[in-house]
Amino acid sequence: MITLLTGMLATAVLAGGVLALAALGEVLAERVGVTNLGVEGLMALGAVTAVMTVASIPSPWVGLLVAGLVGAAGGMVFAFGAVVMRANQVLCGLATTFMGLGLSTALGHNYAGQPVATTFGHVTVPLLSSIPVIGPALFGQNILIVPIYVILPALVHFVMFRTRHGLNMRAVGENPAAADAAGIPVMAMRFWYVTLGGAMAGMAGGYLTLTYVPVWSEGMVAGRGWIALALVIFAGYRPVIVTLSALLFGLVTALSFVGQAHNWPIDPAFLNMLPYVGTMAFIIVPVVVWHRMRRVMAAPAALAQPYYRDVR
Amino acid sequence: MATRAFQRLPSAPAGRILVLRLAAIVLSLCIIAGVLALSGHSPVVLAELILRSTLGSRFGLEDLALFMCPLLLTGAAVTVCGTIGLWNIGAEGQFYAGAIAATGVALGLHGPAIMVLPVMTIAGILGGMAWIAVPTLARAYAGVNEIITTLLLNFIASLLTYYLTTGPWRDRISGAQVSTQRLSVSIPEMWGIVHWGFPVAIVIVIGLALVLSRTRWGYEIRIGGANPEAARYAGIPVRLRIISVMLLSGGLAGLAGMFEVAGTVHRLQGGMANNFGYLGIVVAVLARGSCLNVIPAALLMALILDSGIVMQTQQLSASVVLAITGLILFMIAIGDELAHYRPVAGATPKGKAS
Repeated sequence: MITLLTGMLATAVLAGGVLALAALGEVLAERVGVTNLGVEGLMALGAVTAVMTVASIPSPWVGLLVAGLVGAAGGMVFAFGAVVMRANQVLCGLATTFMGLGLSTALGHNYAGQPVATTFGHVTVPLLSSIPVIGPALFGQNILIVPIYVILPALVHFVMFRTRHGLNMRAVGENPAAADAAGIPVMAMRFWYVTLGGAMAGMAGGYLTLTYVPVWSEGMVAGRGWIALALVIFAGYRPVIVTLSALLFGLVTALSFVGQAHNWPIDPAFLNMLPYVGTMAFIIVPVVVWHRMRRVMAAPAALAQPYYRDVR
Repeated sequence: MATRAFQRLPSAPAGRILVLRLAAIVLSLCIIAGVLALSGHSPVVLAELILRSTLGSRFGLEDLALFMCPLLLTGAAVTVCGTIGLWNIGAEGQFYAGAIAATGVALGLHGPAIMVLPVMTIAGILGGMAWIAVPTLARAYAGVNEIITTLLLNFIASLLTYYLTTGPWRDRISGAQVSTQRLSVSIPEMWGIVHWGFPVAIVIVIGLALVLSRTRWGYEIRIGGANPEAARYAGIPVRLRIISVMLLSGGLAGLAGMFEVAGTVHRLQGGMANNFGYLGIVVAVLARGSCLNVIPAALLMALILDSGIVMQTQQLSASVVLAITGLILFMIAIGDELAHYRPVAGATPKGKAS
């Protein structure tokens, strides 16, 4: 039982990391009032460029960096349309996803199906990794686990809720006109946080191919970008909760692995549906069970609304 | 802020939109030509080849009609949902659900085509409706974002199709991979390989346009989309209208799946939705909320898909089409926004309140 639990948690942490990174990036974008539906495409681009990079430069860090830069570039393209040109955010996001998925398949054509040249190896932290159950999961896997689950969310939480900059940032998402009147650069804030969110989506893709699924194939992102978007809503746009819900979600994924490993009498196709069914349940059930949830976990007031200084 | 020489209008004039969209498409084509030239293909040769084998040949035209048929219906599905201000991103999943339901009928019910086809049609529509039922109720009663819920169901539908075509319904006769056996009934053909689903789809789209513009129901839907508060104040049951519109949308996408399975592919296959559901979103955007505009929009989208076939013969991956579609969608989104701006004679001086 303990080994099963340890194994499940390890898989959950590994699988949830992809979502935690992408969803945290999306929290940044949505908190300044921009819904980026392009996460799925940016993740695919990050995943494929990481594979291509480590094929010529055998360092996973360089691969992750390139994935992040490509994600940032894609985020800038989206932000140019949705923030600078103030075009419809839903359309720009879908267009970004189409472009990202199409380009990544075209780029990765020669790399499809081959194992990734270099990945992030196992790193075992002495002492901490011998804690039963959670030790191997958190401190006995790759080196990115602690930054993704502890350092980044804590940093984002601190900046967002404990600094003046964070207050400004949230003001842009709640009431851009008031923020503008107070001298906060609304457009710059939106542009750069969307770009940063894109970079994190790209890195999430890189993390996917450099640790969890070390092979590139078409459609391998498999809706993880959309699940990350759903987690942001589920977590009420809060950085720490979004990370925890990514872990919870990782557990659902791990459950389907355990089912396949233990030959449960369920077809693997149904076990593979679990993450999507789980996400649906995550965003529907809490609101139905507890009606006030909608107000507590409310979206930023100006979410998905372009800001026009001259139109009131 | 520098002096403003442009003023933003609340609604954009149609002429300006048309001009800017043409500019957006031309700009996208220029970018694509540039990328192709850089990667060692000659854009001129390729363009000539595409024109010759799509509009210039009978096979090209037949393929065009076959691509248009599902796009008309998925495009209409997204358009009617958009009328009340909602996004149905799950047409892909409803397409599969419709195809699955229709296939189930065809595999289980034996009889003359005249009997089986209507039952398949109803099953397809109901399948699509069933697939959108959960997002519909969640949206209407709990305000859950329909974009994410409809989208997640796409993955479930695709996995279900995979399960059925490799498991209980797999082809035991010819042994085709990820596919059912060939269905015993099919929609009759009217011109080459083009089946009667194509004209029916056009009639449905025109009918929807009439219903939306001429009936009380259509009027209430449009008001509900334009201003939900005003609609509620005027006594329009907005919640019921949301439910009916979303179910209609799912039914249309399910019908597209039924047509595809019974008219074009003749069997249920994994991956048979071919992004038609997602491309329906593009069609709806191009149509700008008008069902009649869905027809030319679907034609344009079908042309792009048709040229994708040519590109594949030239060692270009099929996914390039998706990237091209994304680029065009992106440019059009920007063009539509720019159409709202009007140059103002005698620019307002700096700092003057508007």
